[in-house]
Parts: sequence; structure tokens; C-alpha cells
Amino acid sequence: MYFDNFTFHFDQGTPENELEKSLQREINLARNIQTALLNGKTPKVEGGQVSGNSLPARLIGGDYYDFYPLVNGKIRIVIGDVMGKGIPAAMLMILTRGAFRSAAESTQGPGETLTAMNQAIYEDLRTLKSFVTLFCADWDPKSGTFTYSNAGHHLPLCIRGKSNTIEELPKVKGIMVGGLPNQIYHEKSIQLEDLDMVFFYTDGIIEAQNKEGELYQITRLKETLLQCKEKDVKEVEKAVIDTINHFTSGVPQKDDITMVLLKVFDSKADITSFNSPIY
Amino acid sequence: MELIIQRIQTGSTKTLKLKGILDISTSSIIEPYLEELDSIERLIFDFSELEFIDSTGIGSIMNAIYLSKEKNFKLAFHGVDEMTHQVFETVGLYHILEEIHKEDI
Repeated sequence: MYFDNFTFHFDQGTPENELEKSLQREINLARNIQTALLNGKTPKVEGGQVSGNSLPARLIGGDYYDFYPLVNGKIRIVIGDVMGKGIPAAMLMILTRGAFRSAAESTQGPGETLTAMNQAIYEDLRTLKSFVTLFCADWDPKSGTFTYSNAGHHLPLCIRGKSNTIEELPKVKGIMVGGLPNQIYHEKSIQLEDLDMVFFYTDGIIEAQNKEGELYQITRLKETLLQCKEKDVKEVEKAVIDTINHFTSGVPQKDDITMVLLKVFDSKADITSFNSPIY
Repeated sequence: MELIIQRIQTGSTKTLKLKGILDISTSSIIEPYLEELDSIERLIFDFSELEFIDSTGIGSIMNAIYLSKEKNFKLAFHGVDEMTHQVFETVGLYHILEEIHKEDI
């Protein structure tokens, strides 16, 4: 059997390989299901751009991100990291996705969403001795307000487009989902301006290792983000992946790598330019 | 990389000194040590020679926290370096430990 990063391949030909072939089909189907659910349609956002990308360390992974457009023009964004790796983590990632989709529909803000999610899946996670870290945020393009809540996840980085500075979002406390029952997750808000970018990520990025065992760390991530802050979200994603690959130079990826980007554009300026006559 | 666990018993206090890496590839090594935690009053995790911990490793420490409630012993962390401290703080491990034992009062 060998693995080419996308598919498991098993030796063929002998009857005793039937079980293995069946297993191969099922693993590949599981991967297809996860890929389809994870990399669904990225919504178009008024006044900004969003994008997400996830690279599992194994065939499938336990990282999760999602976008949920809300009726009032806002968008709810979530990123998460399920304990462990591979198929067990992927199964719990699907559980988490279901909880998010259901909670996003019925809750008013990101804090309430995390509270509802913990309420919904706490018992299952404790039974399975697992947990998931999650960061959830609402972006309101009309007011420029970015409201967020945290359940044990790394705080995203905010790159200020006009001042060439990068900062971690102000801390908001909250423990992992699956840690304790009946948790209330609090919210904080910041104001985003034209050309600001928020970079959500999982620890697979900053813990990527090179041949010497050094970690990529947040310092390198910040340098990369500052260097490409004027690019669009897909190009920023590519730049981050390229610098990680350059840093690790062939050392196999140990953990799932996931990032989500939100970049703000002055929507009024965009609308004006779209309406301008073409000469 | 591997995980080496040194067990030190002083009276009713047991210390588990972890050396190396506590991650998905080594977390099964710690399980038998957690299963034998009977008749102790205090468990100390000594992390002073721990080089790295991932989410599966945090899950093992979480299990020990819940076990400390179930088997009624106190749990303490020693030798936590800055990086591990940040990870524990971020995921809320200290808060969970505090809340679990607050319920005893």
C-alpha cells in the first residue's frame, strides 16, 4: 500500500485484497465527503472577500472552517481544530459542523453560537474523551464591526492595511468545546476599516517543523502576512502555504493546516467603480 | 521521538515526570499510568522535560483532570514552560481544573 497525499492505493489482484480494496474505497469516499463539505461554496460578501483553505496532514483531517451568511447581511465565520488527527478527528469534525450549522441558524451572535454548540455536543465529546477548539465571528459589512467569541482557539491576527501593523485580536476568554458543561461564551468587537485583513488559523501552521525540528512560529507568519497584505485573499493563502513549504522543505506535514481570511474593502468605492461608465 | 515517563511515589503523592513528546504517537504510553492512580491523595505532572504537547496530549491531561475528580485526588502541574503554559491557558485547561475541584467544596 502507498499514499500519494490524495489517495491510498493498495496492491491489487489477489482475493484476500478484496477487504483492502473495499477499505480503500470507503476511505476515499470519506475523504471526498469531507472535502466536499469543507470546501463548499465560499459566499460573496458585500464590502469584503472571504476565503478558506484546509490541508489535512493525513488523508482526512480534524480541522474545520465554515461560513454562514446571515439574513441581515452579516456573515458568520468559524474555524476549529478537533483533538487528534485522521479518521477519528474527521468524524468529530462532521459532528462539529452539524452543531455549527444548526446553532448559527438559531442564535444571535458568535458567543451564543459557541454556547449552543457546547450545549449540543458536550456529552458526546466527553464520552469520546475528546474536545474541539473553536473561534467564531460575525462580520457586519454595513457597520464595519467584527464581533467574535472564542472557545480555546488561537486568536486570529488582524493586519491593518493602512498602518502596516499586525496585532492579535483583544483576548476574550472561553474554554474548548467539550471541556465543561453549561459554558457561556462572551463576545468582543473591533472595528475593521478599508484594506484591513483578519487571518484565522489552526496550530498546524505555527507548529510546522523543518529538518532541524524548528517550528514555523507566529513570527514567520506575521512577516509573511505583512509582506503580502496588499494581495487578494487567495494570493495571501498561497503565499502562506508557499512560505511554510519553503520552511519545511520536504519534511512531512505533521498536523492539519487550516486558514480563513477576511479582507475588507470599502464597499462604497467598489459600488461606485462598478457603476462607472466604461470608456 | 518518544515519551519516557518516570514515576515517583512519596507517601500518598505520586509524580509523573514526562520526558520527550506527548502527542498522538505517544499518548497511549501515558494511559496505563493513569489507570493505576488508586489510593493517592495528590498527583503531580512534572513537565520540566516535556519538549512538545499536541491536542491529543492535552486530551490525556484532560482525562487525568476528570480522573482526579472521579478518584478524589488533587492534581498539580510543575515545570510548565512558557509555550506549554500558553497552550494550557488558551484551551482553558487551568480553568477546567479549577472548576472541576471547585465542585468539591
